[in-house]
Amino acid sequence: MSYIFVDHLCKSFVVRKKREKGVLLREKETVHALQDVSFEIERGELVGYIGPNGAGKSTTVKILSGILVPDSGTVRVGGRTPWENRKEHVSHIGVVFGQRTQLWWDVPLLDSYSLLKDIYRVPEEKYRKRLDELTEALQLGDLLRTPLRLLSLGQRMRAELCGSLLHSPELLYLDEPTIGLDAVSKLALRDFLRWENAEKGTTILLTTHDMEDIVALCSRVMVLGHGSKLYDGGLQELLTQYDTTKTVQVEEHQNIDQVIASMYKNLGL
Amino acid sequence: MNTLRLYCRSMAMLIKSQLQYPLSFLMQTLAQLVMEGGELLAVILLIDRFDRVNQWGPGDLYFFFGLMSVSFYLTEIFGRGLTGNFPSMVRNGQLDTLMLRPRGILTQVLCSGADPRRIACIAVGTVSLIMGSRISAIAWSPLKVLMMAESIFFSFWLILGLFMVEAILTIHSVKSIELANTLTYGGRSACEYPSDIYPRPLRILFTVVAPFALVMHVPASIILDKPLFGWPVWTGFVTPLAGLVLFFIMYMLFRKALKFYRSTGS
Repeated sequence: MSYIFVDHLCKSFVVRKKREKGVLLREKETVHALQDVSFEIERGELVGYIGPNGAGKSTTVKILSGILVPDSGTVRVGGRTPWENRKEHVSHIGVVFGQRTQLWWDVPLLDSYSLLKDIYRVPEEKYRKRLDELTEALQLGDLLRTPLRLLSLGQRMRAELCGSLLHSPELLYLDEPTIGLDAVSKLALRDFLRWENAEKGTTILLTTHDMEDIVALCSRVMVLGHGSKLYDGGLQELLTQYDTTKTVQVEEHQNIDQVIASMYKNLGL
Repeated sequence: MNTLRLYCRSMAMLIKSQLQYPLSFLMQTLAQLVMEGGELLAVILLIDRFDRVNQWGPGDLYFFFGLMSVSFYLTEIFGRGLTGNFPSMVRNGQLDTLMLRPRGILTQVLCSGADPRRIACIAVGTVSLIMGSRISAIAWSPLKVLMMAESIFFSFWLILGLFMVEAILTIHSVKSIELANTLTYGGRSACEYPSDIYPRPLRILFTVVAPFALVMHVPASIILDKPLFGWPVWTGFVTPLAGLVLFFIMYMLFRKALKFYRSTGS
């Protein structure tokens, strides 16, 4: 079986609408966040996961990480069912939400990391080695004694990455990691992800709206829209299929966002 | 053991964070002292007027007030994560971050907050306890000291359990802070006085639903040698266990509620 195995996954939410005048009970509406989604990811892959806002990307990530329980379907990650034994499962994965922090605001990074070490029960020696490795790769050396609140957005994102990789997870989910970053930070971040993936064999699932991220990092892309998987395969093929200007090479596309937009349109999103 | 170590380290870090703003910390602690001092003053003025409520003399009433004050604010010091941070954690989705770590959710919530400023309130409570003990001329014995310690210990769990009501309702996306506050802050204000001065429905509420009477008033009345309901001394060691029972029930409901949690969009 593949490292990540998702089969016929469904998840819906009940949203209660505002009560209309003259109606006794509030109307309920069922939103199908995921409808019959299936895919497999092998160990060590770096996969892009894209789709318009509200397509169900975050829901998938939350189910894969054990936060949400699906309505139906099978999910196995490294042989485990994520929501069945949460503590065991999450000690093997790392998650970075681009707009949420998991570090402590007012204390130096080093203190945050040391507490994370305790939370994940990482042995002291392993922690030292891993921290050295990550601080070098992420160029965090000078920032370790600075409180999080004094860091710039780019620095903060690097700090978050370091925090979520300290326990050497097999699998890393990234939810819009480059949101709001400047060009230099973005490039540094991409370099790091490539390094982590190649050197450590960490499987990475990347959710983003920045098509440059996908072009730079992922050979495989999954497209999600209205809760269904619409495309799964190489990036090159995806672009040739939906490019209105018929340019052949990925690098030559003037504006990848336009291609993606036209694809979403074609697929009726 | 490992969990306890994690808790201590988290607390050390929280205090370090708060001391990043030393002046603000000092001012707020002083404000707490004035606030709780005011509460005690109100009780003193009231008792001065009535002299006696049922069989309770002024010293007894100070003792009851002090016991509630120390227990309640002890819970607020250590339960800050639950009372202050948790509702907003649920609303803004920060709870996700906790669920992504290989530790118990309640452990992490409790690790995420502490309110050392409340130490000022505990100081006031202690003063009230000493006043009560002096005026009522309590004949202290090791057994009575033990009984008081036990009462405070289980009061901590009782009040923590009551604070969990709000947490549970928050997860079910019910904004009902007033309802939860009736039990916690309402219970605190009402049970600063021994429960036998209240009419029957309230007595039942504070014995069965939020058992302040069992956890605090029964042992305190025995310490004061005026046992409630004429119960024997050993009951003062048994009834406080009701606090732990309530906490356990709330903990189970809390775990059930977490299964219902559906996170927020990002």
